[in-house]
Amino acid sequence: MLKKSAAILAVSMLGLTGCVAEEEALTLYSGRKENLVQPLIDQFTEDTGIEVDVRYAGTSETAALILEEGDNTNADVFYGVGGAALGALSAAGAFVELDQDVLDLVPEAYRSADDEWVGTSGRARILVYNTETVAEVPDSVLDLANPEWDGRVAIAPSYGSFQAFVTAMRVVEGEQVARDWLNAMSEQAVIFGRDEEVMEAVESGQVDTGMVNHYYWNRRGIEQGYDNLTSAAAFFGTTDVGNLVNVAGVGIVTDSEQARTFVEYLLSDSAQTYFAETTMEYPLVSTVEAAEELIPLDEIPTAELDLNDIDQLDRTLEMMREAGLL
Amino acid sequence: MRQKPPAVLVLLAVFATLISLVPIGYLLFRGSQAADQLLAEFVRPRTFELLTNTTLLVVSVTASALLIGVFQAWLVVRTNLPFRNFFAVAAALPLAMPSYVSAFGWVSLFPGFYGFWPSWLVMTLTTTPYVYLAVAASLASGNFQAEEVARSLGKNRKRVLSEVTWPIIRPAATASSLLVALYTLSEFGAVATLRFETFTIGVYNAYRSSFDRNAAAAIAIVLVVFTLVILFAERKSRGRVGNLEPHSGRRGRINIQGRFGFAGGLFVFAGLGIGVPVAALIRWSFIGTSSAEVQRLFDALIATIGYSVAAGVIITAFALAIALITLRYRSTFARSIETSVWVGHALPGIVVALSLVFLGANVFPAIYQTAWLVMIAYVALFLPNALAGIRNPVSQIPIVLDDVGRSLGQTKIQVLRKITLPIVSPGVMAALALVTLTVMKELPATLLLRPTGVDTLATRLWALTDASFYAAAAPYGLLLFLLGGIPAWLLNRQIRKTIDATT
Repeated sequence: MLKKSAAILAVSMLGLTGCVAEEEALTLYSGRKENLVQPLIDQFTEDTGIEVDVRYAGTSETAALILEEGDNTNADVFYGVGGAALGALSAAGAFVELDQDVLDLVPEAYRSADDEWVGTSGRARILVYNTETVAEVPDSVLDLANPEWDGRVAIAPSYGSFQAFVTAMRVVEGEQVARDWLNAMSEQAVIFGRDEEVMEAVESGQVDTGMVNHYYWNRRGIEQGYDNLTSAAAFFGTTDVGNLVNVAGVGIVTDSEQARTFVEYLLSDSAQTYFAETTMEYPLVSTVEAAEELIPLDEIPTAELDLNDIDQLDRTLEMMREAGLL
Repeated sequence: MRQKPPAVLVLLAVFATLISLVPIGYLLFRGSQAADQLLAEFVRPRTFELLTNTTLLVVSVTASALLIGVFQAWLVVRTNLPFRNFFAVAAALPLAMPSYVSAFGWVSLFPGFYGFWPSWLVMTLTTTPYVYLAVAASLASGNFQAEEVARSLGKNRKRVLSEVTWPIIRPAATASSLLVALYTLSEFGAVATLRFETFTIGVYNAYRSSFDRNAAAAIAIVLVVFTLVILFAERKSRGRVGNLEPHSGRRGRINIQGRFGFAGGLFVFAGLGIGVPVAALIRWSFIGTSSAEVQRLFDALIATIGYSVAAGVIITAFALAIALITLRYRSTFARSIETSVWVGHALPGIVVALSLVFLGANVFPAIYQTAWLVMIAYVALFLPNALAGIRNPVSQIPIVLDDVGRSLGQTKIQVLRKITLPIVSPGVMAALALVTLTVMKELPATLLLRPTGVDTLATRLWALTDASFYAAAAPYGLLLFLLGGIPAWLLNRQIRKTIDATT
């Protein structure tokens, strides 16, 4: 038995050290999920012949990893979710500058002000509502705090996208407005753990409305057929912070031709189409259209906001805790 | 000091200590980068709040795990409890269930199961086996003729328990309680899922919400200070470990009233610890459309076995060296080694992992993102688990045996090999099983330090649940539980032998 375990061990140790020794491959640190990213990577390798080793972990863990590795990082490229993480890495000097013609593919709102990262796909916060019980959706996300919505709004406060939205609300509407809204939500919202559960609750008629990332509704539509859904997706009225659009984005950590090729690839028509059709996100390059069930990106009434400014999540968490939502 | 320990032991012990000190050194480095922030962190109201929550959870979980674990051990080893063999295994099995899976299982079966009491319940269910195993082992090997003598002298059962039985199990009970307390301190997954804010959550949130390594380090340093207080308390209550004689002769079992009632109680406890999470995992199999992935499951299984067995062997060897040095060659040096090993044990996995990322990437790039650095992380994380198990067996060897061996012309190493090791080998094997089991379930350090592209059962379980592929995740959880059941079962062998031997 001992001999056998020793053999297994030797195999795993040797095998593992061997993998790392390959020089040619591009190393990608991905905070995005493997099931969403890997098909795209495989296609990239097929198209360009560049092998990619991907390290998967959460976006914040991956960012911490790059910060600790410092100048001796193994990462060539960071790919993660949320302007906050990308902004923090950029502020720490982890990224190199991107080419202007690559940056110009994407609207200014969805890329770094210092030209150090670029959004590759977008996700919008939406309100899903049950079409049988809700006749008119509220004009503003702030209206959800009104008594008429008591017990009729589902939210997932521990989910990162919700917290990014609350941070945006703090920045755009001010701390007092955000605090009042959170307190009201704490009293009258129905709390779930993740956006999928919120989506399920609205679709099944358990709760009238819910706040989710847009693609949860679209994935549901594709799975069941849009015509069969009992829920519909809506944005709030005019320039509302409840319609926050955030990005998944990319930055180059160790400069190389391959790394630049990869960033370009994520903004190519083929990758942008993958985001539009498979992950149901918003493509950010104008040549590719979003899924037809989505309101076009430039028609979403979002509030004026620099994604780099929503990096103060700690204050948000503190306020959410005080309100009893976490 | 009686004499100098063999050089090989000193080398092993010093190397292990250096590894254990890496996270602390890293924290001090980070802390020195932000001394102001550190001071501010100490006096923040939020730190006080975290301190209150953490203290509440650590004290309550340790107390309940100690009470229940000791009681379980006593029932199984010393009484005429029905179905003893079954309960001997059932009491250890929750150890094979990762606490984050358990917590997730509870929440998915009982929505809204959040806050202090759920955290207390899940942590108690997860940690009680530590106490049960340690105390059952000491009950199984202790000399209980004194109990009978005491009883025949007219002492009542309570006094026998407090004056005869307790001193025998006290070292095992306190050492395992220490493990429970530090485990609870460092736990992230379960308390995060069950939404109870402890220091560990504070550390994670600092990374997650502001990408602020210095703030995270500041909270972690508060955590280390907290650990020192616990270590000090444990020192005071440890009691002296005598050189006990191995038991001899027949030992009678104590006939208890209402033994089927107690059996029912144990059954319910085991059901909460094993049944609920297993039921949740089975229910996952039917959620959504994802399906099982056979090849990756197999790869992850092999990697998990390779890592955990290798780490088990390495860590146990280090722990044995440290135990021999600290107990057989008592000195200030030896004592400081032991404290250094324990002090970082309450640090959350992410801190240990990032300290090794920092060291590995910048000082030892040759082993960075290889299995070797993963092993080093496991040593830093789990050396105390092995040490807790090995301490008592080593301390019980009569020192006079060394002298006899030496006087017969044997070298120190020969004495070690021919006399000491054979005597302590059951304890060493138990420690090996315990550490292997603990390593299997480890997530945060494995996730950050693993060679690129390698998955263990735990990392794959994380990836799939994170993507809401519950049906695909379920086999990983179940396999991890089954795999963990093997060392848990081995751990019990010695205890069950005793059960069979006594009538």
